[in-house]
Amino acid sequence: MVDQNSNYALQTSEVYVHYGKKMAINNVALNFPKNEVTSLIGPSGCGKSTFLRCLNRMNDVIDICNVKGKFLLNGNVDIYSPDIQVETLREKVGMVFQKPNPFPKTIYENVAYGPKIHGIASSQNELDEIVKDSLHRAGLYEEVKDRMDDIATGLSGGQQQRLCIARAIAIRPEIILMDEPCSALDPIATAKIEDLINELKENYTIIIVTHSMSQASRVSSKTAFFHLGNLVEYGETGKIFTKPDKEQTNDYITGRFG
Amino acid sequence: METAHTDKNFEQKLNHLTDNLIKMSNIVEKQIEIAVNVIKSKDSSDAQTTQNLDEQVDEVERDVRDLSFEIMTLHRPVASDLRLVFTALKVSKELERMGDHSRNLAKRAISISSSFDEDLTDQMHNLGKGVQKMVNQTLESFFKKDEVQARISWNQDAEIDRQYKSLLSDLIERMHNKETSVVDEGTKPILIAKSLERIGDHATNIAEEVIFNITGHYIDLKKSDFE
Repeated sequence: MVDQNSNYALQTSEVYVHYGKKMAINNVALNFPKNEVTSLIGPSGCGKSTFLRCLNRMNDVIDICNVKGKFLLNGNVDIYSPDIQVETLREKVGMVFQKPNPFPKTIYENVAYGPKIHGIASSQNELDEIVKDSLHRAGLYEEVKDRMDDIATGLSGGQQQRLCIARAIAIRPEIILMDEPCSALDPIATAKIEDLINELKENYTIIIVTHSMSQASRVSSKTAFFHLGNLVEYGETGKIFTKPDKEQTNDYITGRFG
Repeated sequence: METAHTDKNFEQKLNHLTDNLIKMSNIVEKQIEIAVNVIKSKDSSDAQTTQNLDEQVDEVERDVRDLSFEIMTLHRPVASDLRLVFTALKVSKELERMGDHSRNLAKRAISISSSFDEDLTDQMHNLGKGVQKMVNQTLESFFKKDEVQARISWNQDAEIDRQYKSLLSDLIERMHNKETSVVDEGTKPILIAKSLERIGDHATNIAEEVIFNITGHYIDLKKSDFE
């Protein structure tokens, strides 16, 4: 049951997702505590990315995808209510994808784009400040401050991903969804993103899908294990990786299947 | 039966780690058995055997340490695998100490005169047999992952301690009474009894590791839990 507990940034219950007749998520209930990082783990096809995409209605654009369930933002906003505009929702719930996908625009324009279309900045000076602040928070400002007018696609993969994070936080979301944000990055770039995740949780709630067990254990305080569309186990990350309650979880994280 | 790892190399290393612990346990149990028998037999070649076995124990302990380090470095074990590696390191250390005590007590036992009090010798031997049984059951609980057995073994230490204290007070009393055969041996019988009591303590530590390996928690066991 979804309750009105405001300690959660997002609460979900009785979530079912079908692609046509195929069930992808089967009666999942999962709540996300504010200012914490929650990892969603599980083998390919387990439903973790499908579930993540439900959280900012990314599945709306897939015709055959049917999402049912309760999704409550901050204890009182039903994100699937007809009254909620998807664009408004995505101001609150941002997303960073597996592959860095900067716009083919300048570094500045990449970060300024969101605040502009959402009307967040009231003046050029304010917009400049938002861009600078977002790049700072994403740990990228020092590296790009002298080349803000360069095309963003010229940045390294790790820098591009941090730019995408800066772009996501420029519109001041409450929740950031990350779908395998480091899978295309080298260990140093990965370490920078993980360090950033650790800093960002001060101000944001982060939900991250990852195939890397060690990444889940490093960055998150809560971990949810999915298998065949079911939520098998959810709990403190420390417990999941030392003594999970379910044998299926133990088998997966120790590499016995998947 | 537990499902095998997808990574066969990792699976083999974990199996090898368990095999090493079984090997080490077998050697240490043999060492204790021989050392306890030496209390009565005073057979110096058996005492030498405990010394030789100790070198084997040290060697396997180094193998366990190196393999555990390798597994942690290369395979980053988690959950049940992590607990196994962690437990292996600690159990091997306890076994190594048990081996040292066995070697030392056998060495002292052969230096005690054959005219030493028969009753006290029997008491030491009985204490040794009790310790031997406790060690056997504790190690069996480890390999069978039997939490109930581990708790029963842990509880046996109270009886070992009781026997040890009784033997100690008997020895001290006879020294007070200036019984020649006891006084002449000085502290040797006391040190033998102490070694046996310490082996029991190490078995207790292993029982606690067994419970951790199974449950993921260290239980704050108290003797009163069983009374």
